[in-house]
Amino acid sequence: MSDVTASPSVRALAREKQIDLEILAKDLGRTTLTREDVAAGASGPAAADGTIYWDVDHSQYGPVSEEPMSRFAQVAAQNLAAAQTLIPAVTHHDRADVSAIETFRKALKPEAEARGVKLTGLAFQVKALARALKEFPRFNASLSADGKTLTLKHYIHIGIAVDSPFGLSVPVIRDVDKKGLWEIAADIGDLAARAQERKVRPNEMGGASMTITNLGGIGGTAFSPIVNPPELAILGITRAEITPIWDGEMFQPVPMVPLDLSYDHRVINGADAARFTTYLVNLIADPRRIMV
Amino acid sequence: MAVNHAEFVVLGAGPGGYACAFRAADLGLNVTLVDPRADLGGVCLNEGCIPSKALLHAAEVIREARHVGDWGISFGEPKIDLNKLREKKNGIVKHLTDGLTGLAKRRKVNVVRGTASFTGPTGLEIDGAAWSFDQAVIAVGSSPVRLPGWPDDERIWDSGSALELRQVPKRLAIVGGGIIGLEMATIYAALGSNVTIIEFMEQIAPGADAEAVRILHDVLQQQGVIIHTGTKVVEVKATKAALGLSCEGVFDGEVKADAVIQAVGRSANGHLVNPQAAGVAIDARGIIAVDATCRTNVDNIFAIGDVTGNPMLAHRATHQGHVAAEVACGHAGALDTDFIPSVAYTSPELAWVGLIAATAKERGIPHKVSRFPWAASGRNLASGGGDGMTKLVYDPDTKRILGATIIGRNAGELLAELVLAMEMGATLEDIALTVHAHPTLSETIAFASERALGTLTDL
Ligand SMILES: Cc1cc2nc3c(=O)[nH]c(=O)nc-3n(C[C@H](O)[C@H](O)[C@H](O)COP(=O)(O)OP(=O)(O)OC[C@H]3O[C@@H](n4cnc5c(N)ncnc54)[C@H](O)[C@@H]3O)c2cc1C
Repeated sequence: MSDVTASPSVRALAREKQIDLEILAKDLGRTTLTREDVAAGASGPAAADGTIYWDVDHSQYGPVSEEPMSRFAQVAAQNLAAAQTLIPAVTHHDRADVSAIETFRKALKPEAEARGVKLTGLAFQVKALARALKEFPRFNASLSADGKTLTLKHYIHIGIAVDSPFGLSVPVIRDVDKKGLWEIAADIGDLAARAQERKVRPNEMGGASMTITNLGGIGGTAFSPIVNPPELAILGITRAEITPIWDGEMFQPVPMVPLDLSYDHRVINGADAARFTTYLVNLIADPRRIMV
Repeated sequence: MAVNHAEFVVLGAGPGGYACAFRAADLGLNVTLVDPRADLGGVCLNEGCIPSKALLHAAEVIREARHVGDWGISFGEPKIDLNKLREKKNGIVKHLTDGLTGLAKRRKVNVVRGTASFTGPTGLEIDGAAWSFDQAVIAVGSSPVRLPGWPDDERIWDSGSALELRQVPKRLAIVGGGIIGLEMATIYAALGSNVTIIEFMEQIAPGADAEAVRILHDVLQQQGVIIHTGTKVVEVKATKAALGLSCEGVFDGEVKADAVIQAVGRSANGHLVNPQAAGVAIDARGIIAVDATCRTNVDNIFAIGDVTGNPMLAHRATHQGHVAAEVACGHAGALDTDFIPSVAYTSPELAWVGLIAATAKERGIPHKVSRFPWAASGRNLASGGGDGMTKLVYDPDTKRILGATIIGRNAGELLAELVLAMEMGATLEDIALTVHAHPTLSETIAFASERALGTLTDL
């Protein structure tokens, strides 16, 4: 008997649709197949998971070696693939003047050292994003599975994508709008450190209003992050760079940080995304406004 | 001579043939059904499943009446009117075969009484008349094997003559302890014969689970049946007084009998239709090989039922019949299962499906076994049942059922749950979590599952 389990009526349907259940099960990575699997599997070879594209003997082209994907990485991969297929996402690009933040950060340096906290640009950006979300409540929301309801969140939690030897994780800083800069900076430092050791607790992940993914420490001028469902948008940040900015009379050297906002176009339209980003850019350029 | 034409012709009107013909007619084909018998239904209805079950019912009533003596109820010795019993059985058969005739009429199936054989890839001869056809189904069944070197003697029966109920011999020998032999023993022992079964293999009901068979073996012996396993009949001498069977093997000696039933298996009837004329391959045993869609090596010719080999069972024939009709109409039919249940309608009944433990072991298939003894079944005891067992073979990893054997009253009916469970890929837990009514014999299936899972509280 075959190792694949499917009821007689499902086997009959597969016969009718000329679907090989052994192959379908392999494609889906399962041993039990249902009517829905067979019905979906029938819609064409790509829907039968397209894994045939990866079913290649690479060694025919040269020497290769293999390394297993960790369980952690496999789960992340599944989530990313689902997000990419299910969300019609658009990425909006902009940049913000960080001279004020940098000046402020320098001024606070002695105090930061005294407190034992690393005050990064990211802490400011988190705080600014929280302010922007308060101003644009439809960005702090999630769509229901059936697409019929938008749940607006009356709290502001921000996820921080953290790169670690184990792979990507997204710990979440809770109630950012109610926290001061020092507290946010301390939270970021703590969560990022624990993520390196895989010591972030499950209840410290999930439930974010939006996620920030910051490649500023590494480099790049722009990228298109993938929205982390069920959130509606994700903010990508790359490295700030001294950029010549025309002040009306001459070029000024201004440190500008690139911002890339990927958003779920089912809920957010392009104009709203541009307004949101412009608002955010202005907050970053003049952090005093965060307070107002 | 004008040639008759058949769009879809079915040769043989047994459970395979009539099911195929009716299904094809329902799908809109113009169907011709050919059989030389006076009545439809083939071996199964006329001289197999149905008459045997009618007589087994009578046997069970006799036995039950005797058993309730312990309960303080006695009917005295039964008076058996053989003519009336025979009439009753024939009446039941007639009722069913007439029913088939009605069903055929209603579907406008053209029933032709005659013997058919192929003359070419699209040609047939039915009792001398020439026919052409578009598609044909070979459903000519099987016949009892006749042991070579046996004398011609009226006292030597096959299962068909045994079911005619000519007489109740004082001493009856049954050669072959398979399902048919055991059912005959069950019938004639109840009617009063001194029955001796001679079986060549190590156990009666070869192919069934040895532990369950042991229970049946012991009960048959309690019913007065003498069983010689591992024993071969080497010579038969017919004298006026008796038939003498010289035996060799575990039992060495002579068995004297007033009648002997040969029940050593059935051979496929493929040769009867001259399949070679149509290019259809047939092996030396008369078997016509088919694939899961019931097609032979020739595209427009199908074969179904006993003529396609083992297991020779009516329900397999019926399913194959439906498949052939559907495939002939362009549908995607196939018999894609290994789970064909076997039932011996003995007392107690023995029923099994899928893997037995010994086969799993032999083939190195990882498996575990769980048993529930019927001595612990309230319903079994309360209804006067004797020894019995529900035995499951399951995959230790997935906990899916790989096979099942039930020995006990109504085992044949009870088995259906397990066949469905296996087809659905059910696990022990699925069965254990399904609420079974109490007190029933079906509970023993849930109990056996619970026992394997360690959740049983009834043992
Ligand atoms: C005593 C006994 C008890 C049985 N009990 C059971 C049971 O309880 N359960 C079970 O599942 N099975 C039982 N069987 C087996 C069962 O009867 C067969 O498996 C079943 O009948 C097979 O069906 P079939 O359609 O293949 O052929 P059959 O029933 O054998 O029918 C074949 C038909 O083809 C006809 N035929 C032959 N040659 C030609 C020809 N040249 N042209 C046209 N027609 C032809 C024959 O007349 C016959 O009617 C029993 C068998 C016997 C003998």
